Amino acid sequence: MTDRLAGLAFFVLAAGYVWLSAGYTAGFGDPLGPAIFPRVIGIPAILLGLTLIIWPAHNAEWAGSAGLARQAAAMAILIGYALLLEPAGFVPTTFGAVLGLGLLMGAPVLPGLATAGIAAPGLYLLFDRLMGLPLPLLGTWFG
Amino acid sequence: MDILNSLWAGFAVAALPINLALIVGGCFAGTLIGALPGLGPVNGVAILIPLTFAFGLDATSSMILLSAVYYGCMYGGRISAILLNIPGDEPAIMTTLDGFPMARKGQAADALAISGVASFIGATLATIGLTLFAPLLAKAAIYFGPADYFALYVMAFATIGGITGSDPRKTLLAALLGLMLGTVGLDPSTGVARYTFGSFNLYDGFDPIVALVGLFAISEILFFLEARAHGGGLVPKGSVFPRFSRIREGLGASFRGSIIGFIAGILPGAGASLGAVMSYSFEKRISDKGTFGKGDPRGVAAPEAGNNAASGGALIPMLTLGVPGSGTTAVMLAMLISLNIQPGPLLFQRSPDLVWGLVAALYLANFVLLVLNLPLIGLFTRVLGLPAWGLMPLVVAISYLGVYAITHAAFDLMVMVGFGILGFVLRKLDFSLVPVVLGLLLGMDMENNLRRALSISGGDFLILLQSPIALAIYALTAAFLALSLWLSRRRMMPIPETED
Repeated sequence: MTDRLAGLAFFVLAAGYVWLSAGYTAGFGDPLGPAIFPRVIGIPAILLGLTLIIWPAHNAEWAGSAGLARQAAAMAILIGYALLLEPAGFVPTTFGAVLGLGLLMGAPVLPGLATAGIAAPGLYLLFDRLMGLPLPLLGTWFG
Repeated sequence: MDILNSLWAGFAVAALPINLALIVGGCFAGTLIGALPGLGPVNGVAILIPLTFAFGLDATSSMILLSAVYYGCMYGGRISAILLNIPGDEPAIMTTLDGFPMARKGQAADALAISGVASFIGATLATIGLTLFAPLLAKAAIYFGPADYFALYVMAFATIGGITGSDPRKTLLAALLGLMLGTVGLDPSTGVARYTFGSFNLYDGFDPIVALVGLFAISEILFFLEARAHGGGLVPKGSVFPRFSRIREGLGASFRGSIIGFIAGILPGAGASLGAVMSYSFEKRISDKGTFGKGDPRGVAAPEAGNNAASGGALIPMLTLGVPGSGTTAVMLAMLISLNIQPGPLLFQRSPDLVWGLVAALYLANFVLLVLNLPLIGLFTRVLGLPAWGLMPLVVAISYLGVYAITHAAFDLMVMVGFGILGFVLRKLDFSLVPVVLGLLLGMDMENNLRRALSISGGDFLILLQSPIALAIYALTAAFLALSLWLSRRRMMPIPETED
């Protein structure tokens, strides 16, 4: 079943990709133009996607509901970390992300807090102060 | 003599204090990364790349560091395989077969020493092979024209999944997806913005480094959360000191495994997993008397020599042709391209310091690793007791700070997370990630070579089939695909998916 869905996703993606390529035109002088190569790779992808829809071979097994919930929470943390790194700064966001991911991976609360509490300022000191990679200590939110 | 002179000059580069420090540090970090379950060479190298940029290391030093980490991971992968029955990385799976039974019999020290020596033999022979064959291949590759390069890329994509277990349609789809992602951004020769959907952030396309860190490091976190329980305690170590007689038992197997692994490493896309599997199966066929799988030293030596030799072999096509032979060398290729260094035959003429400095560094790294891995093995085994919840979040934090340090853009962090989720979904659906990376990396060159070939012929596509070199490459590709089909029919080798 998952193969059929994957095939469908590739089919739609590649079809859209080839369709969009029609809008790319270039002036004279270029023997290939910007639209040919996308078609050279897009059309086989459409066909291969179709074969996956018609002859699926594999069915992925997803994690149980607890696992899926952990994965969804981890994705939320990863996205939040990316969005907040600049406004909130490296140290607060890293503390939050290391703590959150650690707890999701089964850390006991106190050791998890301690790890995040050491890691966030520790990484900042190591990479920013010692090795000279500029990282925002505290973001724009904190002035 | 030419080679010896170049190598001598290479040792002068590798012996610079900064490079020596990077060799030792890289070997140490690599062994550590390789030993930790869930982290392998590809993740380790992917996380380090942004850091090498941020620290402003030059190309030679960066390559030396990454290669030392790569070799170190291959050594380290065996430690958890033998002691915990958990392979630290994909190629170490074969080492668990005889390594863990040896450890259960109280011969852990023997098994670690045998595999350490086998790793040394494999990696050293492969480095010698690299020294001898890479310049030859580079000389031949100078005659390659654009049509030949186009054929070479076709071969890389067609064969990368050829002998691994997964569905060949999916390997091709993964490569095509990578190629599609590679076309995002301004078309270099016409200036047309393709697939940017009006976002200026996408005009430069996806930075391969950002994509790689996402695909390999971030997706691993999501994967890890799926099955949290990693059981198994350390086995009794028995005698602390290995016996020399046991090491000698594995020597023959080490040499045979090295040769097989080296050849597997050169093949595009086959990589170290295949080297380990082929070496083990071959050794089992010629010397098994019912002892394999129950703790035979030769069953430990052969796959370890094989996977280490393969990692050296995989550097050959990457350096001479610009077509990587494994996931990790693909990551290194991404770094070289980002530093504006185009691997290929001309690399040997334009940057002899880089090539020969790297080769010399690999010889030194092997000695460093042997020293680290025989007496200091106790230190690395202690690392295995560290909990994953303390380590994996740090991998995330280092990925973020590394990517942020090179791009200074929150947008690229989002791209990284996006590629992480994509990588996770693709792996769940049984798509290999290495072809995606290859597509993303090689797409622009593939298009440019097609363009050059067509401008020579005035737009006639037949030029692609008119060069004898290109025809030979297509014939080789067909032979390789036929061989892999034949092998999978005979089901001689149950091969795990290659992500090394």
